[in-house]
Amino acid sequence: MKNVTGDLDKTKEALKKLLPAEDILTFDFTSEGGMRFCTVFADPLTDKELLGKQVVEALADYSGKPRAEDVAKKLSSPETKTEKALENLASEVLIGNPVVLFADMDAAIVVGTKKIPVRAIAEPPTDVAIKGPREGFIEDFKTNTSLIRRRLKTGELKIETVEVGRRSKTVVAVCYLDGTVKDGLVDDIKKKLGEIDIDVIPDSSYLTHFLASRPYSLVKQVGTTEKPDIFCAKLAEGRVGLLVDGSPIALTVPYLLVEDFQSSEDYFVPPYRATFTRLLRLFALVVAIYLPAFYVAAQLFKLQLFPVKLLLTIAGSIRDIPFSPSLEMLLVLLVLEVLNEASIRMPKYVGMALSVVGALVLGETAVSAGFVSTPAIIIIAFSGIGLYAVPNLIEQTSVLRLAMLLVAGSVGTYGIILATAFVLLYLVTTENFGTPLLAPFSPAVGHDLRDSIIKYNLGSLSTRPKTLKSPNKRRLA
Amino acid sequence: MNKISARQLLFFLACVAPVGKLVLLPARLADTSANDLLFPLALHYLLQAGAVFCVLLLAKRGMNFYELLANTFGKIAAKILVTVFSVFLLFAALLPLLEQKIFVQSVFYDTLPSLIAYAPYFVFLAYLVSKPLASYGRVWDLLAPLSIVGLAGILVLSYGSGDYSALAPVGASGFKGFYRGTMSAFGWFYDAVLLIPLLGKFEYRKGLAWQGALAYLAGGAAILLFVAVFYAIYGPIAVNQLFAFTATSKYFSGVSTLGRIDYIFIFALALVMAFWYALPVQEAADCLFQAYGRPRYLPTAVAVLLSLVYFVLSVTLDFRFTDVLRAITETVVWIFPVFCLLVPVLLLLTRRSRREIS
Repeated sequence: MKNVTGDLDKTKEALKKLLPAEDILTFDFTSEGGMRFCTVFADPLTDKELLGKQVVEALADYSGKPRAEDVAKKLSSPETKTEKALENLASEVLIGNPVVLFADMDAAIVVGTKKIPVRAIAEPPTDVAIKGPREGFIEDFKTNTSLIRRRLKTGELKIETVEVGRRSKTVVAVCYLDGTVKDGLVDDIKKKLGEIDIDVIPDSSYLTHFLASRPYSLVKQVGTTEKPDIFCAKLAEGRVGLLVDGSPIALTVPYLLVEDFQSSEDYFVPPYRATFTRLLRLFALVVAIYLPAFYVAAQLFKLQLFPVKLLLTIAGSIRDIPFSPSLEMLLVLLVLEVLNEASIRMPKYVGMALSVVGALVLGETAVSAGFVSTPAIIIIAFSGIGLYAVPNLIEQTSVLRLAMLLVAGSVGTYGIILATAFVLLYLVTTENFGTPLLAPFSPAVGHDLRDSIIKYNLGSLSTRPKTLKSPNKRRLA
Repeated sequence: MNKISARQLLFFLACVAPVGKLVLLPARLADTSANDLLFPLALHYLLQAGAVFCVLLLAKRGMNFYELLANTFGKIAAKILVTVFSVFLLFAALLPLLEQKIFVQSVFYDTLPSLIAYAPYFVFLAYLVSKPLASYGRVWDLLAPLSIVGLAGILVLSYGSGDYSALAPVGASGFKGFYRGTMSAFGWFYDAVLLIPLLGKFEYRKGLAWQGALAYLAGGAAILLFVAVFYAIYGPIAVNQLFAFTATSKYFSGVSTLGRIDYIFIFALALVMAFWYALPVQEAADCLFQAYGRPRYLPTAVAVLLSLVYFVLSVTLDFRFTDVLRAITETVVWIFPVFCLLVPVLLLLTRRSRREIS
């Protein structure tokens, strides 16, 4: 690795060679004492006003020795460091920190005046809360760490950064509470991060692939959240959090499936209410996955499952339908998925029109034209709503719903039972960072059931979850 | 996931093991012992509880089944004995798998489905057998509440429909009925033997043997209650109700308005059964792995092979189920007491202390 030399022009040239892009600019100036200076900076990422004030103005009357230590003292920036390696200097320029070079220098100075456009902190659209904090993470890593620091004012909060991505050099912060995390977990995570060999990390979701023990699995194995209050609560339980620069979605490990049935609001309402809503979410998800499948299986293989009056109603509505029950249900499901996909991507004002077209025109006319039956639309609509009761699992459950539907159409109710057995077996054998995905149900951990699908009051949650094996067990005196 | 906890083992004995007795056995006992069907059943539970106690005592030695035998008889003899035991497990698995097949074909379909309808079970069996045996522990954690809810639900929906005087007078079928019932039920009672391949996969804790026997008896009590309700509902025609647990709750008054809501519980129990029926097959494979090693791709190959064999058997024996049932419960029934009662006791006589095996 080449270092800076005392020759300013040669060093500048070497740096420009490493950074040939047009938006990497240089600014040369001479102090009153006659010393030549040069700043190298990335135009779109550097606060030029601050650079002028903290560097150029400060050094205008410099007449001391050409020693980096002395020059740095003269600067009015609180964030400076000296660096000799040209490659490191180039990296600093690329993240927005200008580099100050000067004649006969022994080292260059890096000044922290980067300016990255950030959006305002807002409530995340995927995790809306009626009660409780409404702040959400944004894309800027520093803002996100400040949101965490504000909630955890303790020296035990460690934020260790690593760079991931050969070209993007994305900053990933490993956050944890020292003494609260299971021994070896942080090292395991850092080891996995260190092994990632990819050119660009555009979003935190890329990391989930590398952190998962079964990377090609449909099952989610890394927790996600957009809210700093949830993130901090998870750190306090003994988890490790990962913030990725450029992504508003933070990751948490180890992940338990039950986490996605919990919402931050559950902790701000009475426990009986929280238990009720968690059970409701579970019920909604089960209905969303199984209802279309059982409807099809019952129609095709076991009409006895319907009460007589309901059977007569269904028989009346499916009489003139030209498709088989499974094909009919698949068609309606496909339409729902297309409408869903289109409405998410479309501008809001078109979205309203799309809802009208989807719900009224398509639904109503398809029924009156005899393409699909009313019960099929009701069932898919109910299933569609149920899926959104647990928004973090939509990707997984929508695929599962489709799989169950296909199995039900071909093998019937026993096929659904077998598919469920498959899923259960797969889930119980999935572990990540030594933590079973289905804990505290399988393996059953009685203590942790207090905050699972049921929720005890705060006084009963005096110790951290046993599943996470935190060395610091007590959290409430 | 490498170890089964004592809790999981107790869940298995109390909640999972009983489900295998809910399908054909009650009707079979009604045929052989009429209103005295509870007595042979109770005797089997007592005998098996004793066998469970013996096997759990063996866990104190901290050795797996193969090590236990090799420790006393040497490696070659141990390999032969383990292979024989595996063959027994594969034999014991045949009746339940065929039982499940006709149960599925009759209960889950309005009309008799094609053979292919049951075929996916063998895919599941292959997947299950390829997994480590110790992963069953976590499965039992999930199956235990399902089993409790399933059986309790069916009992609640059906107990009101029974005429319990059908169980009287006690002893009407005489010793002959009791003897025939006891002998024919042997084919369903191999629960204690299923613990043998699990040796070395769970730690012995103080009192586990007693706890295991009591947990098994608790599960047995639930089955006795169920069989009593079943016979109280059907009386002398109970013999015709082949799939007992699907038949008892259909007279619940809410069925006419709500439909067969009891199917929720039947489905829960069918899910538990899917795992239960596969256990002997997986254990047979695991015993062979204990004796002959477990190279990387072998479990998958064995899993696929065994599943194929059972699939072929289920197809070829499709219309011979009655013959198979007769053969297993009458002709060669002696195999079951030998392996299920004698083997656990004899294993207690093996060398206690560990010795160096060359």
